[in-house]
Amino acid sequence: MASLADPILRLRRRTSRKGQGADIIQKIAMVLAVLLVGAALFAPLLTPFDPLQQSLLSRLRPPMGFDRYAPGHFAGTDELGRDVLARSLHGLRLTLALAFAGAVIGLVIGGLLGLIAGLRRGWAEDVIMALVDMQIAIPFTLVALLVLALMGSSLTVLIFVLGIAGWEQYARIVRGEVRRIAAQPYLEAAKTAGAGPVYTAWRHVLPNLVSPLVVQFTLALSNIVILESTLSFLGLGVQPPQPSLGSMVGLGRDYMPTAPWIVLTPAALIVLLTFTVQILGDWLRDRADVRLRER
Amino acid sequence: MIPYLLRLVVKAAVTLFAIVTVTFVATRLSGNPIDTFLGEGLTEEGRQALINYFELDRSLWHQYLAYLRGVLSGEFGLSFVDRRPVTTVVAERLWPSGQLLLASVALTVAVSLPLGVLAAVYRRSWIGSAVMVVAFTGYAVPSFVLAIVMVLTFSYWLNWLPVVGNGTWAHFIMPTIAMSGVLVAALTRFTRNAMLDVLGQDFIRTARAKGLRETRVVLKHGLGNASITVISVIGLQIAGLAAAGSVVVESIFSWPGVGQMLVNAAILRDYPVLQFGVIAVAVAVVAINMLTDIAYALADPRIRLARA
Amino acid sequence: MFRLMLTTALAALPLAAAAQEITVGAANVTPYVDPGRDHSNVGSQFYYNTFDTLIDRDHTKLAPEWTPGLATSWELIDPTTMELKLREGVKFHNGDEMTADDVVFSLNRMFQATFPPYVVRAKDRFGNFTGAEKVDDYTIRIHAAREEPLWETLVSMQQAMIIPEAYTKALTGDPDVAEDSDFEAFSLAPVGTGPYKIASFQPGEKLVWERFDDFWGEAAPLERATVVQIAETASRVTALKTGEADIITNVAPDQLSLIDKDPNMKTEGSATALFHVMIMNQNHPKLQDPRIRQAMSLAIDRDALNEALWLGKAVVPSTHTMAEMGALHQPDLVTFEYDPERAKALLKEAGYDGFEITYDTAATYYTNGLLAAQAIMEMWAAVGINGRVNVQDQWSGKDPEMMTRNWSNPMYFADPFGSFGVMWAPGGPSESEGRFNTDADYAEKWERFRFSTDVEARKAAYVEVMEEIKQDPPVLPLYRPFESWGMKNAVNWAPMPGHIPYVLDFRAGSISLAGS
Repeated sequence: MASLADPILRLRRRTSRKGQGADIIQKIAMVLAVLLVGAALFAPLLTPFDPLQQSLLSRLRPPMGFDRYAPGHFAGTDELGRDVLARSLHGLRLTLALAFAGAVIGLVIGGLLGLIAGLRRGWAEDVIMALVDMQIAIPFTLVALLVLALMGSSLTVLIFVLGIAGWEQYARIVRGEVRRIAAQPYLEAAKTAGAGPVYTAWRHVLPNLVSPLVVQFTLALSNIVILESTLSFLGLGVQPPQPSLGSMVGLGRDYMPTAPWIVLTPAALIVLLTFTVQILGDWLRDRADVRLRER
Repeated sequence: MIPYLLRLVVKAAVTLFAIVTVTFVATRLSGNPIDTFLGEGLTEEGRQALINYFELDRSLWHQYLAYLRGVLSGEFGLSFVDRRPVTTVVAERLWPSGQLLLASVALTVAVSLPLGVLAAVYRRSWIGSAVMVVAFTGYAVPSFVLAIVMVLTFSYWLNWLPVVGNGTWAHFIMPTIAMSGVLVAALTRFTRNAMLDVLGQDFIRTARAKGLRETRVVLKHGLGNASITVISVIGLQIAGLAAAGSVVVESIFSWPGVGQMLVNAAILRDYPVLQFGVIAVAVAVVAINMLTDIAYALADPRIRLARA
Repeated sequence: MFRLMLTTALAALPLAAAAQEITVGAANVTPYVDPGRDHSNVGSQFYYNTFDTLIDRDHTKLAPEWTPGLATSWELIDPTTMELKLREGVKFHNGDEMTADDVVFSLNRMFQATFPPYVVRAKDRFGNFTGAEKVDDYTIRIHAAREEPLWETLVSMQQAMIIPEAYTKALTGDPDVAEDSDFEAFSLAPVGTGPYKIASFQPGEKLVWERFDDFWGEAAPLERATVVQIAETASRVTALKTGEADIITNVAPDQLSLIDKDPNMKTEGSATALFHVMIMNQNHPKLQDPRIRQAMSLAIDRDALNEALWLGKAVVPSTHTMAEMGALHQPDLVTFEYDPERAKALLKEAGYDGFEITYDTAATYYTNGLLAAQAIMEMWAAVGINGRVNVQDQWSGKDPEMMTRNWSNPMYFADPFGSFGVMWAPGGPSESEGRFNTDADYAEKWERFRFSTDVEARKAAYVEVMEEIKQDPPVLPLYRPFESWGMKNAVNWAPMPGHIPYVLDFRAGSISLAGS
């Protein structure tokens, strides 16, 4: 999905922009990011309820301020009498953890393959670029769905699938940068001076990759959040009773007309989360562009 | 141009062959279909009879070669579940999906181009910021959230719109919007950036210097030039994004499309349908990509040269 | 403006109460239509409107009262042979007239099955029938291997419905030979003798019935009935509200109040003749000790599940029995109960060390299935069992790794043999899937229960079989689920007690529309 970022990155390098500091929306996003990550990290401290604890006698109770409100359950209870707030916060935690794990795996796989493709050329590059083409040829959400439907959904398979999502973006970025840098005169100089390929990669290539990769990582994060939510919504991601934001919306959707709070709380968190990460990613990209442009 | 085209075709063929193979292997590794779609309460004897009947007793290699032969001669087999030719099963589902895709792309273009231009022209005023906030929000709302909130509001509470199937134009409204949300956000941002890029160039300055009206400068020279890149991104990216969103939207609106069918086929282990469905989707995406590549190359010789 | 949109949309749908047409929004539409091959909960919705059996029953009554169907009379000419006189002048939907040849063909395609999907069904319920034979154009005989206590019951089953011989054979290949491909083609272009013909059928999506004017019995009350698949629960309820559907199937108990609150809609439901059950793998290495499985059963408070998830409308059984079984209904027998203290004690005796026990369930297949699974895990936790729900849509019943899962034991016909008997027969589906063991002793008891011609002897044998199940449990019936249908007030329809589960019966006397 994040492949849209690629042409944007290219264009932005020539686009003038005035300020480098954060504007008001970006500041709000930063505050939100801190709050969301904090809520995820400290979820067990923020609510007295266990997200898995059922209470069959107080099912489907509405949030505070409505009739039949069950005291203490501020955001209401779900179809098994579990606390919606506790489930949402723990869901946020799981969703964020999965997104990080997925983005890191993608970064490692994509980065390594991109590096190989950039440095080695020849058949290795052809094979890797063919894989990249294949990944682009089929919409990945579809691939992820089919893999999970066929393999059966477990946390391991899910993390694997989230990690595979978007590796090709890293590969393309790394390969491009490696080739660009390889053409620089100072690298020729280093080579003549006897520097080996590993040393070259470490000393000259890596530092130049940091900023585009950070940008890509952030953008990938929000895409993976949406992918994970979509998969879980369709029942192919995180499995019950474990809550993730997407699975809460997915399992709760039958209750939309009768108990909308089961869905609305996690849905709002998904939107906030992706919104925040998108804004931050965009901001980071602008800053990176400025650096690239000034060089 | 000819070598470039050849290269494209070979690349597409290799990609498709790889996809056929990977799909075949993945499906066979995932379990015996007999145990999933007819398996409940089968006697061992009955099970063996069914395995033989569906020719699942042959070696994998044998099945694979038979399948490849079938693919080359246009024979893709019968669905395990309802025993119709998979080509029929998939064909009757492709058009509804295609309709939804076209409607979504049309809506996306109609909304995103003006928004993107606005955001670029007024990039320093609140209008530009407002457009971009809307775009970011659109990107942040997953299609399933958008879809179920719309169903609740416009069908359940207000009783305005139908929710089942694709019978009339009114059926298109909610699914199209649900699919377009993310696309609009993406394309608006892209259009804005493409416009900024073009508007900063010398010939725009020249046009302004000639005393042309600003609207004309922006729309004719600006958008005219930006549209080349915009079109390429529609072909390359938007179709893929939309195909991905279709599974969710199709399931919520009971839309008889390909996405729904593929997921069901995977769950039921209806291999023939699954395999042909994946191939059909891949061919469509590869074809769209190829056409976009060609159009792009025709429009801009630099690209053709750079890639050849 | 928006109102207008909906009106435009609806104008295209075949929906107008005045024209005696209805649309049914079903959670599932069958992928094929062949009464012989099918025994699924999805398929059973579709057969009674389209096909007839030789012997029918009064479906308004719980206890079987046999009525003439395509046979006008029948008698046992010896203990293993039944002779049936066929109704004359019966037309199939394609215009062919039904004769003894069609009946013999239909029955023998099952009794002497060669097409694999038929073989499966033939073995588990028609095992005692050796064949059907034509006596003259309107008389046939059915032969059994040994004395059969359930003649009418088995002959009136869905799998014994009548299809046309010449039409089926001519579908593919040689028109005089019944090839496997003929049966496959038939299941996509089905033809029967019932009051509605299938006018169009898109597998898994949509089925349209139209009134069959040459039906031999009372004319169908509806001109046309369309069944469309609406998989999403919320979409089904919404479709009923927007008027896109007149009847919707599979309304979960939690949605009932929503429909009942609306002045234009209502619900009809019943505790369906089917058990949602939990099955336990007797052969899983960790579950071989019967005490562990007994404890797993005793820990489950089925009444609490009923109160919380079914609003108290489901029926919790004390043993594997149903009121529909008439003389063989044994409600006083107690095979399954709730006793957490005893569960704890048994676990201790068995030396249970806290290993994880998985419980497989599909996400949506059984109403409330996933919710019940999660609630059961809590009940297990209360006695110290470490359970985990494993959601997967594939059938895991024959996987040796399967520990427990949910399943259903439908009543295929009104007899203990039609429910427990089919599923838990020696060599039957459960045993051949490797999760249930029987020995000679069990087989002897089962045979006595199945074939004794004396009702009391059958009952006594069934008590013995149930005792075996209690001592070494492979199954726990959770409850008869309360299945509901939602509909517009103008539709007068309700599930009838004499049917197997989920049948959509739109025959004369079963449905009417207000104002028509």
